[in-house]
Amino acid sequence: MIEANAVVAQEVHSDRHGVRALGARFTPFQIFSLLVGFGTASLILYPFFLVLVRLFWVDGSFNIEPFRNVLQLPNLGQLIFNTFTLVIAGGGIALLVGFVLAWLNERTDARIGALSDILPLLPFVMPVIAATAGWVIIGAPRAGYLNYYIRAVLDLVGIHLKQGPFDIFTWYGLIFVYALYLIPYPYLLISAGLRNLDPSLEEQARVCGAGLWKTLRKVTLPNVWPSIAGSALIVATIGFAMISVPILIGTGAGIQVISTRIVRLLNFTYPAKMAEAIGLSLIVLIVLIGIWRLQARLIKGGRFATIGGRAARGRRIELGRWRWVARSVTFGYVFFALIAPLYGLLITSLNGFWTPKTRWGELTLEHFRTVLWLDHKTRESLFNSVYLGLIGATIGMIIAATISSYVQRSTGKVSVFIDGVAKLPAAVSGLILAIGFILAFAGPPFRLHGTMLILLLAFLATHMPSGSIAADGAASQVGHSLMEASYVSGASESRTFWKINMPLMLPGLVAGWSLLFVRYAGDFQASALLSGTTNQTAGKKIIEIYEMGSFAYLAALAMGLTAITGTVIAVVFALTRKRSSISAL
Amino acid sequence: MEDIVVEVRNLQKAFKRADGTPVKAIDDVSLSVRSGECIVLLGPSGCGKTTLLRSIAGLEKPDAGEILIGGETMFSGAQRLEVPAQNRDLSMIFQSYALWPHMTAFDNVAFPLRSRKTPKEEVVERVNQTLALVGVTELAGQHPSDMSGGQQQRVALARALVAGDNLILLDEPLSNVDAKVRDQLRRELVEMQQELNFSAIYVTHDQIEAMELADRIAVMDLGKIVQLGSPREIYEKPSSRYVANFVGTVNELPGTVASISLDGSVAVTTQLGTVYVTNEEYLTKGSNTVLSFRPERCSISSQPVDGNLNFPGTVKRSTFFGSNTEHHIEISEQLDIVVWQVDSKQLDHQRDVWVTVEHGDIRALPFGEDENLNECN
Repeated sequence: MIEANAVVAQEVHSDRHGVRALGARFTPFQIFSLLVGFGTASLILYPFFLVLVRLFWVDGSFNIEPFRNVLQLPNLGQLIFNTFTLVIAGGGIALLVGFVLAWLNERTDARIGALSDILPLLPFVMPVIAATAGWVIIGAPRAGYLNYYIRAVLDLVGIHLKQGPFDIFTWYGLIFVYALYLIPYPYLLISAGLRNLDPSLEEQARVCGAGLWKTLRKVTLPNVWPSIAGSALIVATIGFAMISVPILIGTGAGIQVISTRIVRLLNFTYPAKMAEAIGLSLIVLIVLIGIWRLQARLIKGGRFATIGGRAARGRRIELGRWRWVARSVTFGYVFFALIAPLYGLLITSLNGFWTPKTRWGELTLEHFRTVLWLDHKTRESLFNSVYLGLIGATIGMIIAATISSYVQRSTGKVSVFIDGVAKLPAAVSGLILAIGFILAFAGPPFRLHGTMLILLLAFLATHMPSGSIAADGAASQVGHSLMEASYVSGASESRTFWKINMPLMLPGLVAGWSLLFVRYAGDFQASALLSGTTNQTAGKKIIEIYEMGSFAYLAALAMGLTAITGTVIAVVFALTRKRSSISAL
Repeated sequence: MEDIVVEVRNLQKAFKRADGTPVKAIDDVSLSVRSGECIVLLGPSGCGKTTLLRSIAGLEKPDAGEILIGGETMFSGAQRLEVPAQNRDLSMIFQSYALWPHMTAFDNVAFPLRSRKTPKEEVVERVNQTLALVGVTELAGQHPSDMSGGQQQRVALARALVAGDNLILLDEPLSNVDAKVRDQLRRELVEMQQELNFSAIYVTHDQIEAMELADRIAVMDLGKIVQLGSPREIYEKPSSRYVANFVGTVNELPGTVASISLDGSVAVTTQLGTVYVTNEEYLTKGSNTVLSFRPERCSISSQPVDGNLNFPGTVKRSTFFGSNTEHHIEISEQLDIVVWQVDSKQLDHQRDVWVTVEHGDIRALPFGEDENLNECN
């Protein structure tokens, strides 16, 4: 336990004993962990705090004028309605599909071995901004590839359409893409929840004669409720904060949401509108807090059965003929989330033109060269993003690993505080944090406006939760008794960390690093507000190109970005496979 | 005076439950462990034995009291001192073995030596020696996940022995292993302890383990040591119903103390008449008591035996257990007596017999008003 006053250890016996006064645990390693923890906490809390202050405190006096201005924003009602509809519809679909995918892969024999573990994660390889660009390319009513191919097929059957049949620039198109990129989160969470569920519960129900659907409804669902509720919260949080999808698709459909409005308020008006932007994001924050409380209460009210005794894998439900139907659901998801948009990007960049009538004989890599190499601005943005990704993900994971290990080792208020702050950005829209960073670091005394450093700091703060959750997972691989066995063998906390914790955490940390890298490289939220001409990121550049309307360019850049993130992940994956696998104990 | 390796004085530790109610895990416990001795902490789950062990190891921090190892203070509530686990001269074997999965058996066993900066050649020599001692030399290059439970436990033992600590703590190390392997490991532990002469504190809920391993047993309940003594003392002279029932099986006949005479014999009124016993603890005239006697001290006979306590009854059930036969004899509606006999003859159901037991084998134990005969708290 940490005490505020550092009591110097009394050297009562020989040096070897290192006797210390009760309560003082200031080994150098502990100090290091605390510094990292508090440093990160400051990085996150200071900008956030500034945002809150700025909302109510203008020019040195308490002033709710800005907040009132928010309420007088034109179309505020429409804005809120749009945003909520998208999040509820898209999120709801994502929850449903995510649950189905999780259940199919965890509880039935529709699994395809290790592939089933990888498949749902594949879409993570592609930055959302790139994938959305891909969907624009394949889903546009006239020039969209998907529509073109479908029309071709319909022609054969005698149905001739001039455009469509699908139009990505509509409500359903927008909801579809929202859902598509929210699905991984409930999938992962509910999978974990199902894995922890005592399989004998379901087997008991089946023994008593309950059919498949009844078992699902009465036994499985009620007990995975915490995971579902947690997924709902995550889906809502990410859904409200999404910018790339509404910017690329929403504007085309004439649907404005809170996040796009915030970007507009900040990028197209002078700082005067900052308070309104903050006010808007606070509406979101209040909603999220409401959902969080609801989720907490829902979980408290129920009794949930978790794994009893040894972790035995229950018998999987056999689907018989339905197995392939079930598998096609998973394949379908991967197709729509990854393969289809990737195809769109690839063909367009090889073509040099956005046209569904692909000139197969004229595909060339020349356009890649033009966009990614010859155009030094684009090249620079890509380079910046990768650079930020490599360095940022590494620093981020080291910080996350240190914090997770510290939290695992110590209980107490400090530990809870640091852990909570590391996860806080998840509850706060990336936009709010970005605004905070502008307030905190862009101007005097730091003057980091337009630098890579402010981007790095903003990324570290915004994406800390992902790294933290991955590191927590990695840390939990190291059981307490493994660490205690080390202490009792005479190893210090520091030695235990490097010799026991780190090697066992490494696979989990590396996996976390890869996901973090994709987020950093493909970031758009923080980039939207903090990235300018001097510190261009790929995400920002993609939006710029989109607004200029040059799609081939867009496709090439998005493709280039995806190729890089895909390669990095593939390499990391291959490397970790080769190492002597530490079998799960 | 023999060397005292571990001394625990008035140790206290309480935990808070999720709803805030405090639970006393260690309630004013005092204990001394002599050099070369094996003390077993015996009790059911939740009695505090593991918490006590971990406090001695330095993995839990008590609220008050003192812990001394080798005469040096490791913990003192009064002086506000705490020596961290890594600086205490002891080793520990965990219930789950706690072998590091990413290291080979060799590296696992070498770890304590390397943590003390032992020179390389010495490390190799001592590790190989210790691996040979526990009989797992051929496993040196293997990872724990490739070993059986018994093999893992041996490696864990090697790791605990390699540094030559005089004190080894064992936290239910045999509970995760099958019965046959458990018997063998237990025997080897006893041999090794006698040969290497280290002091051991062993935690278990299994009374058979306790009997075989212990020089002294500390029976624990709700954070207190309720009785400390040799296995024989614990078994033959239990100080309470709790101890009597925990270690072995016991027959109980409730009664009230009618009188205590000057020569120490006690008259107890029971449903079967007045019984005279000489062994008693904490009894006064009028107090409730339970007469306890072990099944193996009873005999079946066709006639009452002079000088013994005799019960007439009918055979309810007779079971063959291989090495002995167990008879349940119904004395009355509320009382069955269990008798163990070495001869394998099973008795006919409903047969009329006498159960006879010598007075010297009967012990009168206190029986609280809030206690139930069928429960033991």
